[in-house]
Amino acid sequence: MKKLSFFHIPIAYLLLYTVLLLGSGLWLFLLSQGLASSEGIAATLEKIILTPEPKSMHNFVEVATPHMFAMGSLVFVVAHFMLFSTKISQKISLIVSMILFAFFLFNIFSYGLISFEILSSGWIKLLSMLLFTGMFLLLLFMVGVSL
Amino acid sequence: MKFLVTKDLAHSRLLAYLMGSVIFAILLYLGLDVVLHGYVIGWDIEGINNTLFGNTETFEEPVLIDSLLLQVHIDLFMTIFALLILSSIYIRLHDKTGTVKWVLHILFTVGLLAPLSLLLAYFWSEAFVWVWVAAFLLWHLLAVIIALSLFPRLNFR
Repeated sequence: MKKLSFFHIPIAYLLLYTVLLLGSGLWLFLLSQGLASSEGIAATLEKIILTPEPKSMHNFVEVATPHMFAMGSLVFVVAHFMLFSTKISQKISLIVSMILFAFFLFNIFSYGLISFEILSSGWIKLLSMLLFTGMFLLLLFMVGVSL
Repeated sequence: MKFLVTKDLAHSRLLAYLMGSVIFAILLYLGLDVVLHGYVIGWDIEGINNTLFGNTETFEEPVLIDSLLLQVHIDLFMTIFALLILSSIYIRLHDKTGTVKWVLHILFTVGLLAPLSLLLAYFWSEAFVWVWVAAFLLWHLLAVIIALSLFPRLNFR
């Protein structure tokens, strides 16, 4: 049974890698919205709200497809460690995981609303990213506490 | 990874073959990943420098930060999944508990250092190109050694 404690090592690194994945993902999104050519993050966020970069159906599917698999499997892998938690109840883990899955789908499809011209403002994308990132960090914290 | 630590499966032939297959696939992935990065980033220091910083003599433009960051983003995802699977099997099959801990720390740390040093080279200093080469090759080499060390421990009966 002593060997089982070693599983804490890959799980701890998984949390670290996931934080970096979230960070690089946010950075990539801001770059796609003109961060490199604008006057900073605040100006980019303002630009996203007022005039988000137009994306064709092709662009949307190109981004959504790998993320559907990657984010789905990453959320599953991270969340399934809560099965072994003795510090946080299964009920709370279930609620957080399901909300996270909902936010992940909301985050992916929110840009579709802009692409299909249902919404002209990009606030919905920013809101969905904020909710998804915040909920994922909460789940990572819960796994970290359970280690 | 609950399935891999279930005691009842300790002598399962099916699990041995499945683990053997996934290790084989990871070995192929590791080899092809080196080739892919050779094509995308460069095969030698000069090629890597040209990709990251451009070359005025050959009129090569430096790589766009969007493209480099996307590569780092993908690398982080692929690395963590490959290492998570490999380390789970490694913990299950190896008995030398003292070594296992350090091997895992080195593997995950170097695996993380590789994509980060690529960004550090781009933004900070050319010297990190060497760090990237060393870290990238080291984590691949270590992962290959670990993968190969697992085969004799699989019970294929």
